[in-house]
Amino acid sequence: MTGKTAKAIFWLGTLSSAIIFLWLTYDFHQQEPKFVKTDKLNEQVVAGKKVWHKHNCNDCHTILGFGGYYAPDMTKAYYRLGESAIISVVMNPEQAYKDTFRKMPHLGVTKDEAVNMAAFLKWVASIDNRTWPPQDEKFVKAFQLREANAQKPDSKDIAMGACGGCHSLGDLGNKLSGDFNDISQRISYDRDTLVKFIHAPQSVRQGIAMPPQNISSETAAIIADFLLSLKAEKEVQK
Amino acid sequence: MIRYESQKVARYYLGLALILFCLQVAMGLWLAVNYAFTLPQGLVDVFSFATSRAIHTNTLVAWMLLGFMGGSYFILPIECKRELFSVKIAYLQLLIFAGTAVAAVVGFLFGWTQGRPLLEIPVPLDFLIVVAALLFVFNVAMTIILTKERSVLQWMLLAGVTFLAVLYLFGMPFFKDLNQDYYYWWWVIHLWVEGAWELITAAIAAFIIIEVTGVERKVVEKWLYVETGLFLFTGLVGTGHHYYWLGSPNYWLWWGGIFSALEPLPVALMVLDTWMHIKGRKNPIVNPLLWTYIMGLALFHFLGAGVFGFIHTLPPINYYTHGSQITASHGHLAFFGAYALLNLVVFYFAMPQLKGIEKFDDRLGVWGFWTMVTAMIFIGLIFGVAGILQTYLERILDLGYRTAQLNMMFWFKAVLFFGVIFLIGVLMTVYHLFTLKKAAD
Ligand code: HEC
Ligand code: HEC
Ligand code: HEM
Ligand SMILES: [Fe+2]
Repeated sequence: MTGKTAKAIFWLGTLSSAIIFLWLTYDFHQQEPKFVKTDKLNEQVVAGKKVWHKHNCNDCHTILGFGGYYAPDMTKAYYRLGESAIISVVMNPEQAYKDTFRKMPHLGVTKDEAVNMAAFLKWVASIDNRTWPPQDEKFVKAFQLREANAQKPDSKDIAMGACGGCHSLGDLGNKLSGDFNDISQRISYDRDTLVKFIHAPQSVRQGIAMPPQNISSETAAIIADFLLSLKAEKEVQK
Repeated sequence: MIRYESQKVARYYLGLALILFCLQVAMGLWLAVNYAFTLPQGLVDVFSFATSRAIHTNTLVAWMLLGFMGGSYFILPIECKRELFSVKIAYLQLLIFAGTAVAAVVGFLFGWTQGRPLLEIPVPLDFLIVVAALLFVFNVAMTIILTKERSVLQWMLLAGVTFLAVLYLFGMPFFKDLNQDYYYWWWVIHLWVEGAWELITAAIAAFIIIEVTGVERKVVEKWLYVETGLFLFTGLVGTGHHYYWLGSPNYWLWWGGIFSALEPLPVALMVLDTWMHIKGRKNPIVNPLLWTYIMGLALFHFLGAGVFGFIHTLPPINYYTHGSQITASHGHLAFFGAYALLNLVVFYFAMPQLKGIEKFDDRLGVWGFWTMVTAMIFIGLIFGVAGILQTYLERILDLGYRTAQLNMMFWFKAVLFFGVIFLIGVLMTVYHLFTLKKAAD
């Protein structure tokens, strides 16, 4: 090979690849709205993204698969956990992970910040990214099912939407903090105590690892009724 | 034994790089402790994994850039047969760069961060880095422009450092849209390590090979053209291997997959030409350790970037391995194999000359080399095993993140163990470099 050929290989290789790459970049921007809800990218989502950066969440949690591998991926966290679980974990990680082997720092995230964070994660979850990560597809499907039922959600949907980030019910939700079938059997709270428990678990049972839940009193009441009905169901079965 | 007075500036660059290297690895050990043991909430609250990771990766990039810059300042006078354009600029630039690095690390400790992985340095400090980079590129460019003897090597180096500096700019703006954010994040990360840095590495390695082996310049420069041409051909469009799962058109699976699968080709060529030049050497082997490092660089570059990059670059595989410890496995092997070793080649080439030593006593250095290389191979393999396990437990058996991590604990402890060995190797090497002595005949 002569020096001239070598030089030609350099320029041909570099320029052809650069041109293709720049063209694809242009096209990426053109097509982006097909995959990303750019129209839903509002002030609150941007505010949530700033919170995400401010606390450097990304060096522990991956998002879109990028970042630190020290904690769960956040791409579809909104579907996996739901808004209230996100808010309660982010504001009170020291309680949520009191008894587990890996801790998330208490970052002093305020209520407003946590709400914006949830909006940001909701927007991120809606990115159409070819069903990645694989392990969260089931949560995406379950969420979509609940959405389809949004007209008349039954109390089970409401309970799992709010609490499914940590609790399970059979196949639904996450098996992190106990199954509602077992919990409902175990507890002896009345309806009012249960509502109070949901809003401030420590005030009912000291030292419990569940962080306060950020849901309205009406929703809490519906969920309390649901848990008590589970208990009644089981007793009838017996 | 240096041939030009201005080469001396390199000394401070290399010294600082070596110190940051130690800090980087120490911080890596601390990350492994975070993985392997449960730390108290109070500690996690004030000094978290996130902060430690930011320090680990930023000191990594900082010492490597210092090595590139110091290395360039060392070889340019020889290559251009003249003094550097300005020694003052070189010192000023070092001062700005080092000051910014210290400010950044202290800032991280107090939560001052841009909050994007690998690009944590806050924007105001980014501007200082840009100033330092501009001074550097200017100094290199002027030295090259003013020389009477042009060479391919000179402008390849200049192209590499200019490309590197330009890409840094893409990491500075705030993106409202996470999808675009990561699209351009990779312009910094991927186009650095699989583009600009490869150019710089190829140019510096070519220079040192010519100097050390004495083979004909024409031949080496031909290889240099072909290798860098292939690097950029595969590496530019190859950026697409990071665009599979961030929300993008389907064609990225093809463009990214095929081009990135070709990326090992130029690295393989580098192994071939290094080996051929060493075999066809015209000079005697004065310092065998330097030759070991040169061959080690070629082989480990191929292992970490070529082999371990290739195995997870195709979309059907990457779907399962993406965002797992498999990436950590590749990241460690590739950074060490390509850029840590390149820098060490530069150090072992330059430091003896700066100290006026022709043949140095290399016993401790040999131990350092083999300790680091062995430990890093284990670290890479262990991260790989942990990653395969994670993928299997979390994505096939569907056990959830926490259960998967719990079952990976043994491997995290193993990484910590080999991390300690690696640090010992680093300390031996750094100590050896700082205290180089003439070999007793
Ligand atoms: C120092 C590392 C670290 C940082 C920084 C961090 N987290 Fe976490 N995060 C964790 C760990 C560890 C867990 C618990 C994983 C487990 O045991 O299930 C966790 C859990 C979570 C969960 C629950 C995930 C799930 O699937 O159960 C959410 C949501 C979360 N973090 C959000 C955030 C947000 C938002 C930020 C930034 C404001 C953040 N985290 C910062 C380490 C971190
Ligand atoms: C951030 C995770 C998390 C979320 C979200 C969460 N919980 Fe819990 N919950 C826990 C933990 C942890 C426990 C304690 C489990 C244990 O001690 O075995 C718990 C326990 C409970 C108990 C048993 C209390 C007892 O005295 O034994 C009830 C009832 C309960 N949760 C209801 C709810 C309801 C209703 C919601 C939704 C509104 C909810 N939880 C959301 C984490 C969570
Ligand atoms: C010396 C050159 C290289 C270095 C230093 C390097 C380094 C890295 C690093 C640090 C990451 C992780 C980035 C992150 O997400 O935080 C990464 C990711 C990746 N690299 Fe490389 N790399 C090199 C070359 C290559 C080559 C040649 C290939 C392909 C043949 C490759 C394929 C990949 C792939 C596919 C990923 C994404 C992994 C994922 O899905 O998470 N790399 N690389
Ligand atoms: Fe890449």
